[in-house]
Amino acid sequence: MPRPLAEQKVIQEEVKELESFVVEGMDLSGHWNRMFGQRVIWDYSHDNMEKVTDLPGGESLGWCYGCAKCTAVCPIDIVGDYSPRKIHRKTQLGIDLFKSDDLWLCTTCMNCLRVCPKEVNMIKIMPAVREQAVLEGDVPAELQKAFEDTAKNGNPLGQPQRKRAAWVSQSDVPVPIMRQHKQPVDVLWYVGSYPSYHPRGIDAALAAARIFHALGIDFGILGPEEKDDGDSFRLAGETGLFEMLAEDNIKALEKYEWNRLVVTGPHEYNAFKNEYPKFGFDRPVQHYTQFLVEHLDQLKPLLKHEVNRTVTFHDPCYLGRHNGEYDAPRELLRAIPGVKLVEMGRCKENGYCCGGGGGGMWLDSFTQNHTRMRLSERRVREAVEYNAEVLAVACPFEVSRFEDGAKSTGNDHLQVLDILEMLDQSMRG
Amino acid sequence: MASDNVLIVGGGPAGLEAARLLSDIGVKVTLVEKRPFLGGTPIAERYAALTHGFHDAETMMNGMIEAVTNNSLVDVRLNSSVTASEGEAGSFKVTLAQAGSGSSEVVEAGAVIIATGFQHFDPGRETQVYSYYEYPDVITIADAEGMLKDGHFRKPSNGEIPERVCFIQCVGSRDRQIGNEYCSKVCCGISSKQAIEVRKVSPETKVFIFYIDMRMYGYWENELYWPAQEKHRVQYVKGIVTEIVKKGDRLMIRGEDTTMGRPMEVPMDIVVLAVGMEASHGTRQMAQTFGVKQNKYHFIDVPHDALNPVATSVPGIFVAGAAAGPKDLDDSIGMAGTAAIKAAGLVRKMAMA
Repeated sequence: MPRPLAEQKVIQEEVKELESFVVEGMDLSGHWNRMFGQRVIWDYSHDNMEKVTDLPGGESLGWCYGCAKCTAVCPIDIVGDYSPRKIHRKTQLGIDLFKSDDLWLCTTCMNCLRVCPKEVNMIKIMPAVREQAVLEGDVPAELQKAFEDTAKNGNPLGQPQRKRAAWVSQSDVPVPIMRQHKQPVDVLWYVGSYPSYHPRGIDAALAAARIFHALGIDFGILGPEEKDDGDSFRLAGETGLFEMLAEDNIKALEKYEWNRLVVTGPHEYNAFKNEYPKFGFDRPVQHYTQFLVEHLDQLKPLLKHEVNRTVTFHDPCYLGRHNGEYDAPRELLRAIPGVKLVEMGRCKENGYCCGGGGGGMWLDSFTQNHTRMRLSERRVREAVEYNAEVLAVACPFEVSRFEDGAKSTGNDHLQVLDILEMLDQSMRG
Repeated sequence: MASDNVLIVGGGPAGLEAARLLSDIGVKVTLVEKRPFLGGTPIAERYAALTHGFHDAETMMNGMIEAVTNNSLVDVRLNSSVTASEGEAGSFKVTLAQAGSGSSEVVEAGAVIIATGFQHFDPGRETQVYSYYEYPDVITIADAEGMLKDGHFRKPSNGEIPERVCFIQCVGSRDRQIGNEYCSKVCCGISSKQAIEVRKVSPETKVFIFYIDMRMYGYWENELYWPAQEKHRVQYVKGIVTEIVKKGDRLMIRGEDTTMGRPMEVPMDIVVLAVGMEASHGTRQMAQTFGVKQNKYHFIDVPHDALNPVATSVPGIFVAGAAAGPKDLDDSIGMAGTAAIKAAGLVRKMAMA
């Protein structure tokens, strides 16, 4: 793995220039700061391309005709040197994607596929190639740790499974846990890992509980029987872990009687809506924004306090592009009195990725070695450019990512809030 | 006195189609062909499959040939050349000479259709260094057609199955130094078609196409380019090859991989030059014999080609197919229809006058 640039400083006085410098047969003679790499392309290898295109899901990498539309919308290329077109070219030039760091940079945000005339589908290519890399053990260490933590504890935060409902003790409204509740509920609320364990995620979970309670929703949670949805691990190539989590979650959900399933996170939404049906789960699911919008008439009278802030909304990739929901979060924000909603340049279908998807959530240090700034930092800067005071989010991955980004870019004045927290604020004042 | 006969020069796809269509509407035709057989370049150059459609060239051309040979309205003159022409629209007097016999004959015609086609660019005139006449494994797309027609694709130098084959586009086309500034229109499609055929006869062979712009207009995009890349795994690389250097018993192509901005030196076993179209010898000669204007590339000049693609500078003399410049088969057949109707209309109008 390349060292960070800071560690790569050249101390000029210590550089010795040899007249002739040959390493393993390669002549590297020349001024010290010349490019040492081979300039001439000596070979094109079909082999590494065919290794990818032979995989179910990998076929379309070979379809790229180099129009480069993807590069302009690839969130990584804005901050690094990467895009599906470049992956195609490098693979055509014989680079082994299975062993390449490039394999782990894609966040599966799907903006490339949206604009690709050839339908080169990184959402299928990346998991297919990563799955093989995972089987070979070629996985960045920090991602491997998240895999192992989740396999052991059902969550990637390294917290014990039995404490998954510990946050409930902080709630000032009752949060029924199905195992103890022992009666059917109208709404089964799948909380998710970050709202269950991460301090800022718990803030959103507590807000959700208060909102549900205020609306008189008959709801319950799985608590210690809930496990991570696993969708991001699937996209990161850990198919086995995903399948295990899916089966456990489906089994837990089938134990109880409920009418509808509501999830806190877009990744969970994607899992239940698009992936779990492959394992026999066939119940409808709603993201919390979709559920609450249906209750807008009851919700509006509860939003008594003005929130006089300029707010911009960051579309989560897996709620927006992947699943087409752009309106529900905005309707909720517009229902909050005092909120001035502004849109960033890259919003809705062209929303910029926070960097957390497709395994990116657990590849922060790895990705940092290949990019000039974090995707979350780029996004925070965009929010500030559009004069937002609050960056509203609807994905539990994002609050901590953007708060870190606001701090590291010197934009502490930008507040990052889940829409749940903003609704709760307006309810309680 | 007006003649009700139409004289067609050239028995290739355009000439055959024009002859068939004229006979279909009851017009008499004299079809003059210099070669001892009909079918034109697809037969003479032993094409494998037609671009596009992948139909067997010989079978398809035989169908066209049969339509005129068993036809009482079509007088086919093989081994024959036009040596002189006089007169004007409605009453041309055209002198035909039969090769070998020493005899000549004057045929009357109300209208003439020149369908004398193109010839493949001779890579010996290439300004880049492709060494076609030096290295047996450097071939042209015309040579490749013959090999593919015989059902194999092997290194001409030693008969071995090639590990890797590449096509170099725009050989003899789009080149000011050579004098052919035009695009030859069909070579991108033919190369992609041949790349698919190579992959089919020799699945272990890897195929590359080096190009400046892929010009796959209309359905050629989805019928040839996309399947070649997506199904047959032909690798397209943007950047043309500048020269070929012999390296052992292989050929090393040298050029730039333009999207990487880096030079390339890659070994190949067969290099196929996608040679373009030039006016055939017959086209140049007929232009002079009939006194029709040629453009700077020696093709027959079509003054208003957008809306009247078959008119020449001389009334009553029409042109069909690649005698008027680079054409694909669809173009040639379409032009043949237009020329046939214009010739028939002229002949009938003259007869009624």
